[in-house]
Amino acid sequence: MEQRFNKSLVTSFGPSQMLPDLKFAEMTPGWDCGGGTYKITREEVEKFAKLMGDTNPGEVNVPVGMIYIFGLRICWDRKVFIDGAVRAGDKIVFYKPAKIGDTITTRLSIADKKEVKKEKDGKVRINKFLYVDMNATNQNNEKIVDIQMSFLLPPTMQ
Amino acid sequence: MSALDFNSVNIGDVLPSKTLAVTQELINAYADLSGDYNSIHVDVEGMKNNPMFGGSTIAHGTINVEPLLQAICAIQGTLWPLEGTKIDLQFRAPVKPGYVISSELTVKEKKTEGGKKILVCDMKIKNNDGSPCVLGTVDLVLP
Repeated sequence: MEQRFNKSLVTSFGPSQMLPDLKFAEMTPGWDCGGGTYKITREEVEKFAKLMGDTNPGEVNVPVGMIYIFGLRICWDRKVFIDGAVRAGDKIVFYKPAKIGDTITTRLSIADKKEVKKEKDGKVRINKFLYVDMNATNQNNEKIVDIQMSFLLPPTMQ
Repeated sequence: MSALDFNSVNIGDVLPSKTLAVTQELINAYADLSGDYNSIHVDVEGMKNNPMFGGSTIAHGTINVEPLLQAICAIQGTLWPLEGTKIDLQFRAPVKPGYVISSELTVKEKKTEGGKKILVCDMKIKNNDGSPCVLGTVDLVLP
């Protein structure tokens, strides 16, 4: 499909080393995955509201579903979505509402990891899980939303 | 919009839900808004030959959460979830174009914490056939 994403809305920043460069043992809590900014424009808000059937976003309000829009492209740019990893879940905490005109800064870091032993048909498998914090703040450094994403890493992950 | 009255809610109550019809057009437009063009979402032709999801694309997992987010705001009578509202969710099954998904919140506990009135709810986002695509819990703050 033709890609119409407005790249001018997003910047990204962070260390040159990215998550896929790390081995599982090197994935330690607090490791900085980088981040980026997302500029909330009226045009994007109206498109999102229409798409999701939100009939009244109002003059300044941002539809809540846009919490993911703040970070998805940045996650791809910062390679937080590792090839073969499966999104297992999210933990979300809401703070102040985002508003049209805000510039949202999203910071990504490793929150935790764990290995879970699973037995099936007499075979033992170790599932590796990685937890990544996505913390979004506005231009006044006020918290907007925290999302902790969990991933089941591919079995090939060393 | 008016909020649900905390005092009128009972344990076991099922709260008002929201529904979303997922189409390939919606998924494509979401990709344009989010910049997430993973082929499992947008490559309709390529996925026909991929057995992973039965020859279909699947919606972004974040689309699957949309009915829940809208339902929370409607219950709270707000346009953005009240501060302190928490969701803990697990993605359980993919959602394909053509599915109609809906949220379900069932009250399992009422509590007051730090001056906030909170409904602790079991949460499910269901596919057409009632099977869950997302499961979890919500701490739903009421004004």
